[in-house]
Amino acid sequence: MKVSELVKKGGFKAFNECVDKEILGVYISDMVSDIIGIGPGNLLVTLQTHKNLIAAANLVDVAAVVFSRGKTPTEDVIALANKAGIGLLGFDGDTWTLAKKLYELGVR
Amino acid sequence: MTAANAKAACNHKWSMSNVRGGYLVIEGCFHCGNKISFFSAEPVPPIDEYREGDHFWSHMGNFQASKFDLKCDKCQKNVPLKEVMALMLCMRCNPECGVFKAGSQEKGQKSWVYVALCANTSHASGKCIATEGIRVLNEYFNFGLQDRSKKIVVVPCELRKSVDTCQGIVLADVGLTELY
Repeated sequence: MKVSELVKKGGFKAFNECVDKEILGVYISDMVSDIIGIGPGNLLVTLQTHKNLIAAANLVDVAAVVFSRGKTPTEDVIALANKAGIGLLGFDGDTWTLAKKLYELGVR
Repeated sequence: MTAANAKAACNHKWSMSNVRGGYLVIEGCFHCGNKISFFSAEPVPPIDEYREGDHFWSHMGNFQASKFDLKCDKCQKNVPLKEVMALMLCMRCNPECGVFKAGSQEKGQKSWVYVALCANTSHASGKCIATEGIRVLNEYFNFGLQDRSKKIVVVPCELRKSVDTCQGIVLADVGLTELY
């Protein structure tokens, strides 16, 4: 599934426009030091909204980042994500609810 | 073909191995102004001040971080990355910096330069990360990128012009405890 299809199906808030990458998996983590171990193409679900997260997400070539619990990135974080072509999405519910929703939408 | 020759001929596919969590601890000597960093696997990172020859090391900060090695899935060759303390994204703040220049050499690529930080932050010892470590980090992080025009460039921190004015983003868990 492409990121654009996920946004359309799931009604996620999009904080920016991004490269429409293929989602190859999902990874849930709030630790930058943990994220650097994942492979390319993952949809990263997190509560963290700081620049370090985008720096790590770019290194491991995530498909997009979804912030749960209504977390909103600041302008400088969005600017860095734009430069890296990383889509930033928002979800108002908690991470567990988001995980269930992603599964129901067919993201594996 | 011998095992050594097989490893030399292998088109490696690297995976992380020996991943361990801990803290990146940074210390500074007020006497000489040098900075050092090390990885602590202790449950609570050390914050003690201590003397070491002419140095008087004081704790400057610590961040949750992880260390890892890289191992080839095909030939089982293992490259220990014991000198690598953390990775840092270059924010291209200084055109005079060697890291900035490394990024500028990648013509026609959407290149992102990441600096592999070693323990000798001030490089007073003249040592930095071994060439093989830098090479395998580049191979690992460029494998499987969806965007073929994107390139990750990992360079050693000895290229950095100034640790004090550098605006790079260290890939460590800064401010994690401030989340809520």
